[in-house]
Amino acid sequence: MKKILVVEDEALLRESYKLILSTEPYIIAVASDGKQALDMCMQMRYDLILLDLMMPKLDGTMFLEKAIDEQIDLPKVIVLSNLSSGDEIAKALMLGAYKNVVKADLSPRQLLSLVRYELQSV
Amino acid sequence: MPQKPDSKLKTLKTEHEKASDELARYKLLVDSIQDYAIFMMDPHGYIQTWNKGAQKNKGYTASQIIGKHFSIFYAPEDIAAGKPSKELEIATNFGRVEDEDWRIKRDGTRFWASVVITALRDPNGNLVGFAKVTRDLTDRKRYEDALLNANIQLKAQQKELQLLNESKDDFISLASHQLRTPATVIKQLLGLFVEGFIPDVAEDHMSIIKKAYDSNDRQIQIVNSLLKVAQVDAGNVKLQLTDCDINQLAEDVVAEFSDTVAERRQTIAFQTNASDAAVRADAKHLRMALENLVCNATKYTAQGGAIRIVVARKGNAVRIEVIDNGVGIAAQDIGNLFEKFRRLPNILSDEVGGTGLGLYWANKVISLHGGTIEVMSKPGRGSTFTINLPQDTVA
Repeated sequence: MKKILVVEDEALLRESYKLILSTEPYIIAVASDGKQALDMCMQMRYDLILLDLMMPKLDGTMFLEKAIDEQIDLPKVIVLSNLSSGDEIAKALMLGAYKNVVKADLSPRQLLSLVRYELQSV
Repeated sequence: MPQKPDSKLKTLKTEHEKASDELARYKLLVDSIQDYAIFMMDPHGYIQTWNKGAQKNKGYTASQIIGKHFSIFYAPEDIAAGKPSKELEIATNFGRVEDEDWRIKRDGTRFWASVVITALRDPNGNLVGFAKVTRDLTDRKRYEDALLNANIQLKAQQKELQLLNESKDDFISLASHQLRTPATVIKQLLGLFVEGFIPDVAEDHMSIIKKAYDSNDRQIQIVNSLLKVAQVDAGNVKLQLTDCDINQLAEDVVAEFSDTVAERRQTIAFQTNASDAAVRADAKHLRMALENLVCNATKYTAQGGAIRIVVARKGNAVRIEVIDNGVGIAAQDIGNLFEKFRRLPNILSDEVGGTGLGLYWANKVISLHGGTIEVMSKPGRGSTFTINLPQDTVA
């Protein structure tokens, strides 16, 4: 089964993503900030990471930077943020994120379709 | 043959008379000029002649001023700085000196003078004096100063407006991001019901949930529009130019809207007369602008209406027309269609449609491509929105 890590500081969103993605045969893990996500990525290799950018402790871009520093081989990272453009997104893409999706634009079904589509190629 | 003495005398007399006549004519010329103060000074700057223009300009009669030093016309601060003697020195060394500055009239008032002092030399090169020509340009100076002040004020106001605008853009951007987060949570949670992740919801409950879901979605669209406009206004939209096939793009938009027009029992069709409709453009932004026009066409066209996207090449430019046979636009509304927050009432719907930002944004984005959007419309007959795109966008 494909393993997905959801990194999202908003608890309600994190739980609803988990609920939605659990309707398909995936293993879902969640982290509430970049630091926790980094620790989890050191322990386990995931197939896909859904990464928020604006988070406490360690934000999304810093998580990507640290992963490079720590030589962690990250899987495909989809940035799910409510920033639709700007420096943070550009930085995340430069640091290896695969694409950016505005999470306010995604319905639960669209989220599932996105994940299904992106997992095809991993 | 030598001239006879009486004949020589006659010739000399005639030449003297001619010279006297010429001198008298010059004197008459100089005396009669009223717009310029023209006078002569000795090598030390003492006034020797005075014309009518000088009297009019400076307020002194000839008897009052002849024999006085020309520094009498200078402001006390200029005299203290030695300006009169410096000007004579420059004129002596370089032949002439020009100046524009305040000078003093007899009554003590100041006027803005344009001054030329020319050194006068005899045939042997000895300095015999100076000619000074002065023109009163006070009116022009006041006009220039007023213009300069107005310009300074305008620049200050522009700067203030720019700062206000930047602060407004920052606020909209921040507010939009903050508003999106709770709206995203609502969308996901209600979406669990609306999209069937949570089963067995009573139909009447689902109807209420669906309304809340749609309303939240509309809020997200408004926030998205505000954010897009804030970005384009702040100059933060950077076009990603690629070779863009407009035929393909138009076909994709037609396909995208096929469900929407079917729901409204309208039709949508695509036509092209351009075998090659490629332009350098930002496909994502261009598509969003076209989607905006098509979305408006569907909203302002009644059931059974027809919408067409027509692509044509005109020289190097590519034209995309969005044609509907909808309610049309009154002539007085066409001019301000592209203003921010401009919304036209829709006789087809009681709902308040749109944010009034779509056309504003689309027009800005097409402008960034170096293109234009034109509108032709007749109430009751429909509208044609035309995007004109240059082949090579300068971005």
